[in-house]
Amino acid sequence: MKMNIRLVALGVALVVWCVVVAGCAARKSEPIKNEFFKPTNASIANGERVYMANCQKCHPSGEAGLGPSLNAVPAPQFIKRFQMRHGLGVMPGFKRDEISKEDLHDISKYRKAWKHY
Amino acid sequence: MRPSNGGGQIKSITQERNINPADVLLPPGYTIEAVARDFTFPTAVAFDSQNRLHVLESGYSYGEVWTEPKLIRIDNNGTRTVVATGTRNGPWSGISYHDGNFYVAEGGTMEGGKILRIAPDGAIATLVDKLPTLGDHHTNGPVIRDGYVYFGLGTATNSGVVGVDNYKYGWLKREPRFHDIPCQDVVLSGLNFETPNVLKDSTTKATTGAYSPYNTTTYPGQIIKGSIPCSGAIMRVPVAGGKMELVAWGLRNPFGLAFSNDGRLYITENNYDVRGSRPVWGSGDVLWEIKEGMWYGWPDFSAGKPIRDDEEFAPPGQGQVKPILQRYPNQPPKPAAILGVHSSSIGFDFSRSSTFGFEGEAFVAQFGDMAPEVGKVLAPVGYKLVRVDVQNGVIRDFAVNKGKRNGPASWLESGGLERPVSAKFDPSGNTLYLVDFGVMKVTKAGSEPKPGSGVIWKITRK
Repeated sequence: MKMNIRLVALGVALVVWCVVVAGCAARKSEPIKNEFFKPTNASIANGERVYMANCQKCHPSGEAGLGPSLNAVPAPQFIKRFQMRHGLGVMPGFKRDEISKEDLHDISKYRKAWKHY
Repeated sequence: MRPSNGGGQIKSITQERNINPADVLLPPGYTIEAVARDFTFPTAVAFDSQNRLHVLESGYSYGEVWTEPKLIRIDNNGTRTVVATGTRNGPWSGISYHDGNFYVAEGGTMEGGKILRIAPDGAIATLVDKLPTLGDHHTNGPVIRDGYVYFGLGTATNSGVVGVDNYKYGWLKREPRFHDIPCQDVVLSGLNFETPNVLKDSTTKATTGAYSPYNTTTYPGQIIKGSIPCSGAIMRVPVAGGKMELVAWGLRNPFGLAFSNDGRLYITENNYDVRGSRPVWGSGDVLWEIKEGMWYGWPDFSAGKPIRDDEEFAPPGQGQVKPILQRYPNQPPKPAAILGVHSSSIGFDFSRSSTFGFEGEAFVAQFGDMAPEVGKVLAPVGYKLVRVDVQNGVIRDFAVNKGKRNGPASWLESGGLERPVSAKFDPSGNTLYLVDFGVMKVTKAGSEPKPGSGVIWKITRK
């Protein structure tokens, strides 16, 4: 029983932490950060281009729009790639002829760079 | 299902607009100030041969609000002089200055679209009239190059079919026979859509096909004859007047037009809404490079992708979108950039100055979403200025409102940007003017704009 209460408390704390982090870090852009974003390698630059062609319209700069904010989603990149490939809810999945495996990994690299920028 | 949370979903427009440049954030090295305020529905600026700022007031806003369209000169000491006044046929949606005269696109809500030439003494001459823009979207532009005035003609409808949404917009009551006109012959798939008959008795039904008047059916294989002028097109006419020519078509609402530094024509296209008889989901606005003679995909493509039978464009719970056309004039090209869904990315200009920076990039004003009227959003979209690298389609925010969330100043309760409608560099290229249309509330019933709340912002590099 004690263990269950601790697990519930931990879960609540995790949810609260995620909400707080998401709330604080959901906006990211050059004016917000007061710093220019510069892709540091070709994979990140390619990932940004592919993101712009496929994802930006619903998640502008990773912020919420038609879709939810991505900037503070704590899920691991492999789960996000799975979601991009297979879709979830109203989000469509992108087939290999739309986004190749390499491009999908480059999007992950771009998103990671954007998250830490 | 989460409710829509658009930036226009504000409680009231009665309070006075607060203006505070400190509430607007820019990248390092840039600064913004408000140089003129209290305009009613401003849409664009231009500069005459003496570099004097001129502001265009639209004379019309969504929400069926008409005022007097005006061209206003702002002298260096701030004095305002009305140079010319139009009639009840707005919106005056765009302006260019060329060789001693102003050229203005008149939207055409009551008499059809026009291209006007306005002399410095205010005399107005009509270069083109009776353009088919009495519907959802209007006559836009213009820009001038190599002796031609280029302008855009928006479509009558959201996706090719006249319906109840057009009645709510207001124009179907005035123009019950108005509909989209293709620029070339098209062959229909024969889709028809049933709605309550809003023009007669809503207990009866109306059945309407594409490119046809309300309550007019179509059949598979039916040919709709193309004609000029047409809907959803870029057109041009000699500066001195003369025969109109088709430049490109298949564009839903080509609002912004600008030539890049190397002379290529780019336009912004406002894309599909989730409304009417044939709603389309998830359709981002587009920045296109225009190639002569090309068809760009409306009403069956979005940003170069087919919308038919694709979950990406199917409104949740409403089934997939079916094609209107049996065959296509050409495969639509790849866009220069795809902007936010419902961002209303409209007026723009190219940087041509190393002093300002980002030479060759497009600075695009985003009016912001019109949710819930046009569909649902989870958070406000647009309400800012973005820069676009047209070489690779990368979009970066340039001027945004301060705060934990993005949105218009009235939604954030700040003194920042409201609804940026166009961006224009001054003749030196060193200063960027951002035209802010002002406050607009949006509900499912329609739009409610606030007269006198427009602002002209000026952005410079420190």
